[in-house]
Amino acid sequence: MTPILHRASFGYLSRHPWQLALALLGICVGVAVIVAVDLVSESARRAFALSMDTINGEATHQIVAGPRGVDEALYTRLRVEMGMRNIAPVIEGYAQIANTTLRVLGVDIFAEREFRSYTFPDPVVKSNQTWRRLLTEPGAFVTSARTAASSGLAKGRQLTISIAGKAYPAILVGLIEKSASAAPGLDGLVIVDIAVAQHWLDKPGRLTRIDVRLPATESGAALANQIRAALPADAQLLSATGRTQAVAEMSNAFMTNLAAMSLLALLVGIFLIYNSMGFTVLQRRKLIGFLRALGVTRREIFLLILKEGLLLGLFGAALGVLFGILLGEQLLTLVSRSINDHYFVVNVTDLALSPASALKGLLAGLGVSLFAAAMPAWEAACYTPKLAMARSVLEHRARTLATRIACSGIVIVMLAFGVLAWSGDGLVAGFAALFLLVLGFAICIPLAVRQSARFIAPIASWLGGSTGRLAMSGVAASLSRTGVAMVALAVAVSAAIGVSVMVDSFRDSVSHWLNTTLRSDIYISAPGMSADRPGGQIDAALIADLLRVPGVTAHSATRRAWIESERGRTQIIGVEMAPESYAGVRLLEGEPDEAWLAFDTKGAVIVSDPYAYRHGVEPGQLLTLNTFTGERAFHVAGVYQSYDSNQGTILMSRATYMAHWSDTQIDSLGLYLTPDAQLADVLRQLRQISAGRQALLIRSNREIRDLSMEIFDRTFVITDVLYWLAVVVAFIGILSAMLAVQLENARELAILRAVGMTPGQLGGLVSMQTGFIGLLSGLAAIPLGLGMAWVLIDVINRRAFGWQMDMSISPQILLSAVALSVGAALLAGLYPAWRAAITPPALAMREE
Amino acid sequence: MPNDIQNTNAQVCISDLCRSYQEGDQLHMVLNKLNAEILRGETIAVRGRSGSGKSTLLNLISGIDAPDAGQVRIADSIITTMSERDRTLFRRKNIGFVYQFFNLIPTLTVEDNVKLVLELNKVPAPEATERVNDLLAAVDLLDRKLSYPDVLSGGEQQRVAIARALVHQPCLLLADEPTGNLDDTTARSVLELLDKLIQQVNGTMIVATHSGEVTAYCDRVLELHDGALLNHERKERT
Repeated sequence: MTPILHRASFGYLSRHPWQLALALLGICVGVAVIVAVDLVSESARRAFALSMDTINGEATHQIVAGPRGVDEALYTRLRVEMGMRNIAPVIEGYAQIANTTLRVLGVDIFAEREFRSYTFPDPVVKSNQTWRRLLTEPGAFVTSARTAASSGLAKGRQLTISIAGKAYPAILVGLIEKSASAAPGLDGLVIVDIAVAQHWLDKPGRLTRIDVRLPATESGAALANQIRAALPADAQLLSATGRTQAVAEMSNAFMTNLAAMSLLALLVGIFLIYNSMGFTVLQRRKLIGFLRALGVTRREIFLLILKEGLLLGLFGAALGVLFGILLGEQLLTLVSRSINDHYFVVNVTDLALSPASALKGLLAGLGVSLFAAAMPAWEAACYTPKLAMARSVLEHRARTLATRIACSGIVIVMLAFGVLAWSGDGLVAGFAALFLLVLGFAICIPLAVRQSARFIAPIASWLGGSTGRLAMSGVAASLSRTGVAMVALAVAVSAAIGVSVMVDSFRDSVSHWLNTTLRSDIYISAPGMSADRPGGQIDAALIADLLRVPGVTAHSATRRAWIESERGRTQIIGVEMAPESYAGVRLLEGEPDEAWLAFDTKGAVIVSDPYAYRHGVEPGQLLTLNTFTGERAFHVAGVYQSYDSNQGTILMSRATYMAHWSDTQIDSLGLYLTPDAQLADVLRQLRQISAGRQALLIRSNREIRDLSMEIFDRTFVITDVLYWLAVVVAFIGILSAMLAVQLENARELAILRAVGMTPGQLGGLVSMQTGFIGLLSGLAAIPLGLGMAWVLIDVINRRAFGWQMDMSISPQILLSAVALSVGAALLAGLYPAWRAAITPPALAMREE
Repeated sequence: MPNDIQNTNAQVCISDLCRSYQEGDQLHMVLNKLNAEILRGETIAVRGRSGSGKSTLLNLISGIDAPDAGQVRIADSIITTMSERDRTLFRRKNIGFVYQFFNLIPTLTVEDNVKLVLELNKVPAPEATERVNDLLAAVDLLDRKLSYPDVLSGGEQQRVAIARALVHQPCLLLADEPTGNLDDTTARSVLELLDKLIQQVNGTMIVATHSGEVTAYCDRVLELHDGALLNHERKERT
């Protein structure tokens, strides 16, 4: 292609900087959202991997046991009796220092060298002293310089460390270092001698695990067999990578959902780019026709427009990557908080700038730009080399095309249902079906608008007289320019409807579930992973004192534990039910009387709905679990409703739990009060009793419900942010479309001015036109949004998290969505309306 | 079957050319078995009422449009049997076009507007610049070569369009109402310029017009009526 041809083409873009800027902005925001979400996911994953690398060190395998951990005698036996050297004992837990949660890693520094290497910035003599102090001083610990700085810790200063609500004296005796790249893995890590950790975490004689390093050779396999043969019934030798992966995979569905939400913004971006490129082609139809007459071939025209799309995509995507990094930094806190709330503790302090994420964003931007530009480019290449293609011909073509495209849309929607029906439980297939549904439905919108315009025209006329009629007929008659903008807005608004209905339905279901489940008047737990989250065990003597408080009539006691196997991690809950507690567990499957009888007396278990869905478990089946005495089969008596964990849980009576896991610990209590007891008085007494012994989380039923809903709402903040960004992209689309329509209609508007329309009336006409665009888009978005909500609830949520919920449609959501659509369109139309009003008619006519 | 072409020296031979358009349910025959021969160096005026098919005829001769039936031969090339792409490449090399509304590209300077066709034909840059300068000097617009079309008067824009139509030395120049958008004085100067430049290169030109003044500059006038060429009037040039 010739440079002058390029100048002829790009000259147009440079003469319409607003359109160019808006197209760039659209691509930029779409790409930014993708890059931001990818960077945040990658940062969280990387922080977790680094932290696990630091904690696992060189371990290839780990010996783990049930909830009580591994007996330390096993370690002695393996090391002393069997002469194994590449093993190290580890105790892990969480502690709070000055409101900061830190991970405690208790190690045997003599065995440690084989697994984890830390260096001290101090000279050798001082380093040796640090190790000695770590071994000999009570409460001595070391941490990284970064952690010390962020938590306000100073070397040599005595402080108090809180674990499961109990306070212990501690002292920072040294700062450790790692290579710069691995340094973030030490963030939030406190290293102590194993004896100190056992004392702090109240695990005398127990270990969280034994790290094992085995060579990947036949001798390694032989050693593994030797170890397995020496293990007691409750212990297992598992691959270290597999264990880390199992934990990391817990958040995969959450991350996939975020990625899908970010793709939504890009999907809206596709319409926007198509819109922008389509306009530039439409407005240059005379130029293109003339170039064709001069001898420019179809292929050259096609490539010319495609190249413009490519350049726009490249610049927009490059800007998007930069903006994505800034956005990522803002989203980092939201995402890491959700991961910490629901999955695992990860300390994500910095956004990991990955070239792969930037490349992904660039390719996505370029890909959608090329895809979106291909259609207008093809259209331009098909122009006959006549001088000016009449507007009427274009609109006629747009109308004919609308019918054909709508037919394709119906086929795509059917395909979406086909994918849903045949894809089994696949989450990615679920998202693919969702996107097909959106695409198929969206491209039916122009035809729907044309049909509905007939019915709306009289209303428009009644509302705005001849101006209203003119505005409405303008929208319907300008489908070639307004159609795509309407589709973009409708998709964004439908996403708002879909996500809002899903979140609202979810919220209703969770709220209803909490009302049913939370039967106790007061809940008591010990702090676990953070100061305000349960997880630690409650002191047994304290429990006895708490239950003696006047006004307490009954109680339930719960122990939550993770058990592991080669198949992954499973959460089990051993619960001692109060008589009132049974009504709090809603059985979805299984006959209640029989199920509870089997649960209480025959050692049967009840599995949560997500667990049953994920593992295909039904009442009557047997479930094999690793117990204290080895693998045991448990009868499944029922399936219960739970929004507690998307991994699924197995509920059993505390008696069954204690019998099979030999664990008497309790980590939460539910207290039932007598009718005449004063809640505030009982709470005060409970706090008095626990004061100075263990800082327990003592909350009323109301508080715990509010806290749960707060966490729920916090989880969806990121979703809100992402769909608002999609709305912003659509808003840019409408603004760009309205500017282009105004440019295209300049002569028509000038004639209206010439025949006596005032600038105000003209501005009103343009505003009314954008208002109708917003209204029609909003109305079209309702069925699409409800369809999206249905797929999100019944397919995506089920497949990603295993949750089932009832769809509840609040009219308020639908009304707000239509208002949002009209509002966004009106706002986008303000500037074009103002421009139309102030342009002197003579100038507009001369320019034409 | 098209007529055999009578005169092998003809620059343009049109045989049994037909073109119709669908208008609603009705077929409107614009050109009906039209035959004509135009010799090398001849200047022909095609006259007719509005809608008589003058522009359609020019579009068919240039290969912009394809006929329903019949043949157009330019020199040794039968363009009606060519593919769309070959017609485009033929047009870019051999035909120049001047339009009533100038159709200059607003985003290019005068120089670039004229040079564009040379670049499309891959003429080396130094040669292209020389030819553009020569032609702009010939149309008396060399000093405006860096201007954009929107600052030129109508007459100036048409002179740029003439320069652009001739810069690649086409064997055939087509002009569609070249003075239709100009005042009398400007129209006359444009016609004189066109005539002078065509005569200099012994070029063949077909002008669609209903202006009597334009026909005065032509060797022959072909009258289009009801889709056929009614008379072939040979006349002395003014």
